[in-house]
Amino acid sequence: MSTILDLHSHSEASEDSRAPVEAYLNWIKLRQAERPLDGIVLTEHRQFNRDADYRNLEDKFGTMVLRASEVETTYGHMLVFGVNDEMVARFDFADVRLDAQTLIDEVARMGGIVVPCHPGRPNIGLYEHYQSRPPLENVVAVEALNGGSRKGEDERSAELIAKHGFAATGGSDSHLVSLIGLCATKFSADIKTIDDLVRELKTGNYEPVDFRPRRKTVPHAVAMVTR
Amino acid sequence: MSVNYDPELINKVFEVTEPVEINAEEIERYCAALGETNPIYTDAAAAKKGPYGGLVAPPSFAVTMRNGRNFFQSVPRFGRGGFDAGKDVEFVAPIRAGDRVTLSSHVKEIYEKTGRSGTMVFVVIRSTLKNQNDEVLAHIDHRFMNR
Repeated sequence: MSTILDLHSHSEASEDSRAPVEAYLNWIKLRQAERPLDGIVLTEHRQFNRDADYRNLEDKFGTMVLRASEVETTYGHMLVFGVNDEMVARFDFADVRLDAQTLIDEVARMGGIVVPCHPGRPNIGLYEHYQSRPPLENVVAVEALNGGSRKGEDERSAELIAKHGFAATGGSDSHLVSLIGLCATKFSADIKTIDDLVRELKTGNYEPVDFRPRRKTVPHAVAMVTR
Repeated sequence: MSVNYDPELINKVFEVTEPVEINAEEIERYCAALGETNPIYTDAAAAKKGPYGGLVAPPSFAVTMRNGRNFFQSVPRFGRGGFDAGKDVEFVAPIRAGDRVTLSSHVKEIYEKTGRSGTMVFVVIRSTLKNQNDEVLAHIDHRFMNR
């Protein structure tokens, strides 16, 4: 049994997204053949949406909805999985300068895991920070594939992963309904809860999967190459 | 860039406009610009038999109000400059031809975020539109990015 989850998405609870969760799940249902997801993880910006309850939607669409957070740190943006009351009390998630090493270590101590996201992205990715500062300790995994990456960003992430031996995840970073599930993570284990997800993220037994449609080759470009 | 500000700014009304009169010709021009053909917005006779009993403006017309007919004069600013980063509109009641609309604006929220291009400070201004009967017509959240 394997599980495919989009580990990085934003609903209308994030200030820069207008995507209702129900619309995400409906889109996944419609696009199941192209993006065979078992579930999504909502990683709202600078907050943990603790009181949101998506059980009715999960039942209606047969797709799992888990909750996490995307926070901003001294080493760029990071996804926090397994958020609990202790973490919310310990950290101000709205602070855009959270100390990255403290976050990683404290979240691990409190039972969660931190995964740096879009590490190849300028300014807010781990790659750029590693050019001028010492590497962080206790990083298990980073996001290798991000649905919002621009040219070169996923390549820089791959370079970082190869150099440091991180496990690799994927997520769409969707802020719009039609982008959900473009990138995801395939786990070899069965995942049903956020605790299952945190446990599996710590093992490294997963791989990023890319459901982004390939651009069709322009005939003129083929002609130029074959000349 | 720092996001230090006086917390008393939040929720404090800082601008109230003079009433702006909305006329049928203005709604007509707006509809023509958008290609809007629904008779409740474009045909006074048909609109009279419609759900609002008269001509009303399309909901998005509320966004044309900005701050009355002018731009805000005293939005809190941070850094060297910025731009309009979008609007969220909650439509409450239709704007009708003949309405005199007043806008009252306060700072709803100030927050920081980081992105590809660096650190940004967002200021959210909430404008409440009311008509001459003190009925709320819409709430508009104007989001301004500063850096």
